[in-house]
Amino acid sequence: MEISIQNVSMTYPNGKQALQDLSLDLQSPSLVGLLGPNGAGKSTLMKLLVAALLPTAGAIRVDGQALPGAERQLKARLGYLPQDFGLFDELTVAQFLDYMAALKGLRDARDAIREAIGAVRLEAQAKTRIRTLSGGQRQRVGIAQALLGSPPFLILDEPTVGLDPEERIHFRNVFSRTAQERLVLLSTHIIEDVQSVCDRIVVLHRGTIRFAGTPEQLIRAAEGHVGVFWERDAVRAPGLHVTARVNTSQGIRCRAVADALPACARPEEPTLEDAYLYLISREAAQ
Amino acid sequence: MTVLRQFPLELRRLLLSRLTWLTMLLTVLSPLAGLAGFGPASAETMQSVYLANPAVAGGALGGALFGLLTVFELNRAGRSRTEALLDAAVSPLAMALVRLLALLAAAVLTLALTLAVWLPVSRQLIGAVFSAADCVLAYAIFFGLALPLGILAAAACFQFTRRADLSLVLFATFAGLSLTVWADDWQLCWLNPRVWALSDDFTNFRIFRSVAWMRLTWLAALAGVWAVSYLCIRRYGKGLAGSLARSVRRVYRPAVALVLLACAGTAYAAQPMVDDSNPDETVMAFYELPYAEDIVCTGRTAQVFPDTAAGTVSGRTTFRFENASGQARTAAFGINPGYTVSSVRANGADVPFSVGDYQEYNRALLEVTLPAAARVELEIEYGGFPRESRNTSTMQGSQEISDDYLWLANDALSPNLMNVLPGEDGYPTVMEITLPAAMTVIPFGTSEAEAVARHDDGTVTWRYEDNGTGGIVYAGDYVREDITTGGMTIQFYYGRKHQAVMEAAGAVEAVQAVVDYCTAHYGRLSFGGGSTLKLIQSRVFGGGYATDGASLLDEADFTAANLDDGTKDAAAGEVMIHELVHQWWGLGNMFDTEGAAGPWSAEGLTVYTTYRIVQELYGEAYAREHYVDQWQQAVDDYYLNFYVRNPEYLERLSADQQLAVTGSLTYVRQYCEMPLKILKAEQLVGGEAAMDQILNRLFNRELDPTYPYLTYQDFLDACGLTEEALELG
Repeated sequence: MEISIQNVSMTYPNGKQALQDLSLDLQSPSLVGLLGPNGAGKSTLMKLLVAALLPTAGAIRVDGQALPGAERQLKARLGYLPQDFGLFDELTVAQFLDYMAALKGLRDARDAIREAIGAVRLEAQAKTRIRTLSGGQRQRVGIAQALLGSPPFLILDEPTVGLDPEERIHFRNVFSRTAQERLVLLSTHIIEDVQSVCDRIVVLHRGTIRFAGTPEQLIRAAEGHVGVFWERDAVRAPGLHVTARVNTSQGIRCRAVADALPACARPEEPTLEDAYLYLISREAAQ
Repeated sequence: MTVLRQFPLELRRLLLSRLTWLTMLLTVLSPLAGLAGFGPASAETMQSVYLANPAVAGGALGGALFGLLTVFELNRAGRSRTEALLDAAVSPLAMALVRLLALLAAAVLTLALTLAVWLPVSRQLIGAVFSAADCVLAYAIFFGLALPLGILAAAACFQFTRRADLSLVLFATFAGLSLTVWADDWQLCWLNPRVWALSDDFTNFRIFRSVAWMRLTWLAALAGVWAVSYLCIRRYGKGLAGSLARSVRRVYRPAVALVLLACAGTAYAAQPMVDDSNPDETVMAFYELPYAEDIVCTGRTAQVFPDTAAGTVSGRTTFRFENASGQARTAAFGINPGYTVSSVRANGADVPFSVGDYQEYNRALLEVTLPAAARVELEIEYGGFPRESRNTSTMQGSQEISDDYLWLANDALSPNLMNVLPGEDGYPTVMEITLPAAMTVIPFGTSEAEAVARHDDGTVTWRYEDNGTGGIVYAGDYVREDITTGGMTIQFYYGRKHQAVMEAAGAVEAVQAVVDYCTAHYGRLSFGGGSTLKLIQSRVFGGGYATDGASLLDEADFTAANLDDGTKDAAAGEVMIHELVHQWWGLGNMFDTEGAAGPWSAEGLTVYTTYRIVQELYGEAYAREHYVDQWQQAVDDYYLNFYVRNPEYLERLSADQQLAVTGSLTYVRQYCEMPLKILKAEQLVGGEAAMDQILNRLFNRELDPTYPYLTYQDFLDACGLTEEALELG
């Protein structure tokens, strides 16, 4: 599976420009983490990739074929979990998945449903009406419908929202296994999810790609720009962004990113979260 | 393929919804509203009351319910926020089509359930005259076709607006138009078709055809509107215009919408059911045609071939003329506006002819140029689907042609000569009509039809002789009872389907009683039909009429409910009595009507006599309550009527309104005021016996052949009273 995004811009009818001249190539197998602050254009990009929107400029190609002409072929190979979605409450989990499987035209629907239910650990709720499920269980049904039939291209927008830590870890592993053979695009605010499973990261900010590369490359870019210091020692350094404050018996310990760390700060090894925040803070400063 | 694959799935999902089943249940029950009084059929036949009204009412409510369900279902994805999931799997356009098909399938299922429930119920309610075919057709056309219309209309509203609230308002408005503003327009009342009557004893194909035409017209129209709304389904985050611009890129999509809309427009404009008769019925242009000079008609023959399966008629008629003018003449014929004239030949050669666009009183004008020859034999070939008058378009169904019943009158039977005087023998006519063998042909009048040829295709040619330019013929699967009473033989014809009901109710004995009464009080019928009177039960008609030797009885007066219901016992067959009495009072030119506003007509004495017979049969109290009291009430209202007290305002109304008001007032004067005056005369002359003697003398008086009328003054003179003496206080 090969997705090619070429000079794509998207401006909404109200004049808001969500994406500007964005170019990106995605190939399977890969698990791509899509990061960016709210309003960066992540959801718009995902909607473009599922043909829910058409770009106002540029082109998206799926295995060489341009959208929306290749819409039917794309949808036949797509698993999509939107950030905001609903379910048919009157159906049971199995009925809903059966419905979605039929919509997707899956031939071995029964096996696919069993597999998907197993992957999201909802075997006990398979015959339960959706209206009775908890928020986390509904989210898992959403993930299950995206996983149905092992689609070659999986787009997941904030898939672990509402899940407890154990479930998050479980699903990270599910996505990771899925990406061994396929292309998975994972949008999330939870950096930990990306750090542990993604082999590639794309950072969007204000409609443009600010970084595309491996997590290690992003972390490397932040080396020397992450430090810790006591809050009492802090000076008002320009461009200093505190990323963590920890109350200790000796006072408040701060972690921060900055182009130039203050003298009181002790340099630290950057995490992916530090690197991301450093990148965004630099962009914001510019 | 996507649609076919997903249709059963969507249907299954739809049928898993409780709301779907609630809608289906309410729709199945909705014919109850028709039994409770909601329904357009005003006739009192069993099938009108227990089939037409439930089916129409059920259709109206069901259409509305399915409209609501449609809005709910189309809004479901948005409401449950599954749009993103569904759109990522399937195109919204394909999904819209699948949803529509699933809803339509649910409607079909509902129709099947409704039939399963209401077929036995209708059978039970209607009794002996129940027709399974009528029941299935009524529920399929009156009821079933309303459901897809509701679905298409509501779906179109939603696809245009994408808002449930706005869609409901639009749909309610559209349905409301049908129930109010459009209710009297047979082509526009898409939700509640105008079905004023269904026959019990004969077929109903004409009204079924009419409603089916209306419904299919709307089906094409709403499918077209839906197809346009389909193009507006929002895609790619675009609005209505953007989505439309995107969707029309596949040319076949707008093409299908346009074809459907064009079909609907054509079906609306080219409807074959009613004509374009001048709605101003005060205009009688055809009756004012000048007679052609120096030419007479010496006879005519006609061969009429009704197609009882298609409901059409084809025919060939030949007129013989003697033209003393030595010049070409124009002969004018009235012809049913549904017919086309394929050939007109005079003495074997084609002659010019034209059929005008102007129509009046269910008649178009055929004008033929006759050659200057002294003798002209004119042959006209014609045929088509006879139309009914648009002025009675809300009471369609009379022009029934089936292998069970047929009524052809005047211009619908054969072209009707209008501007050529007859020769010395009048218009001697030989009429031949070929029909299925099971049908009995009954000319309305003194003529007797006889079967003259049997054909290999199972049809029989009947022939009868008549004298006139028009003529009315009935045919059907009739039972004939010959009743000899009052010195004459009454040929009582009624539908075979009604035989059991008639026999159980002793209808033959009732007829005999009426004839005995009139003969005893007024004397034998001394004119017209001579020793024979045909009493013909007609398909539901809204009344009856009589002519020399024949009287028509509406089947609505013979319903099982009328004849069987003990509480209504006294009311049974009173129209039958009324029409029979017309054989004594009112045939031909017996009465010199004073004019539209005058109270004196055949109706006064007929209604009075009916009252007397009813009084004898059912008692004084019943007769007073149902006759005298009702006359008095109507007359009291009449004197209070605004236009009676202020006639100058009547002139300010439109011609149509004037006609409606004066028609209503004339009815009161002739049917209520005059009987009251006769009743007052009865009191003044000394009671019933004295009045019977006076009427007997009037009926048997010597006629002045130059002025054969029985005038109001004759009546007053016979009573020894003055007009003032009979004024009602």
